[in-house]
Amino acid sequence: MSNQENEWMAAFQNGDSDALEKIYLVLKGPLYSFIFRYTRDEQLSIDVVQDAFMKLQRNKHQFNPEKGRLRSYLFQIGYRIMIDKLNRRKKWQSILPFLTPLPKEELHQADRMTIREAVARLPDIHRSIILLFYYHDMTHEEISGILDIPKGTVKSRIHHAIKKLKEELGEDINESRSL
Amino acid sequence: MNQDPFKNDQFIKSKLDEYHVEIPDIPIRTKTKRWDRFISYLGSPAKNPIEPAVSTTNRLLLVKTVPLVGAAVLTLLQVLVLI
Repeated sequence: MSNQENEWMAAFQNGDSDALEKIYLVLKGPLYSFIFRYTRDEQLSIDVVQDAFMKLQRNKHQFNPEKGRLRSYLFQIGYRIMIDKLNRRKKWQSILPFLTPLPKEELHQADRMTIREAVARLPDIHRSIILLFYYHDMTHEEISGILDIPKGTVKSRIHHAIKKLKEELGEDINESRSL
Repeated sequence: MNQDPFKNDQFIKSKLDEYHVEIPDIPIRTKTKRWDRFISYLGSPAKNPIEPAVSTTNRLLLVKTVPLVGAAVLTLLQVLVLI
C-alpha cells in the first residue's frame, strides 16, 4: 500500500488530480483517527485533516519518496498543524477564558471509556508516540521524523508510555485478574 | 524495530484494540474559508462568564438589585447636586 501511495503521489506531482482523490480516500481516515485520539476534538481533527491535505496540494513538489513514505510525510504535516492550532487555542483561551468551548460529554461503554481516558491522560509527548507506534505502525525512524525528536528518544518514550498506560489501567488490570 | 515492546503486555494491547474511532465524512477542501471557520468558532458553545454570579439565589438577587440600587444612588446624587 505504501508503494501504491507513493505512486499516486508521483502521479499527482505530474498533474493527475484523480491521484489526489485516491490518496485522500486512503489517508484521511488514518490521519483523522490519529488527530482525534490525540485531541478528542472532532471539529479540530476535521480541520487538521483538511488543512494537511491543502498543504500537501500546495507543496506537492516538496515530497521526496526517497526520504520516506507519503503516509509519514502527511502525518508530519498534520502533527505540526495540530500543535500550531492547539498552541494558538491555548493562547486565545488565556486571553479570553470565557470563550473556552464546553467539553462535550460522550457516552461509551465503560471499558472503552477507560482506555480513552488512559490515553487522554498520557503526557502529550507519550501520547503521540504510542498512537503513531501502535495504531499506525510507524517505525521508530518515521516517528522520529514526524515528531522531530532523536530515534533513541522515541524508543525510550515508547517504553515510558507503556509504563504509564499500565499505571493508568492498573486498577482495571487488577480487577479483571481478580475476577 | 528489533522487538515488540508490547510482547509482555497483551492486556494493554487488548485494551488499545478496543479504542475505535468513527471517521466522519470529511469533504476535501481546495480553498481556505477562514471566514466560515471564524463564524463557526464564534457560534460554538462557550462558558457563561456570569455563571458564578447567578449560581445561587442570593447572588442572582444581588445581580438584579445592584442596578436598581445604583440607579437610585445616581438619582439621589443628581437631586442633591441640583439642590
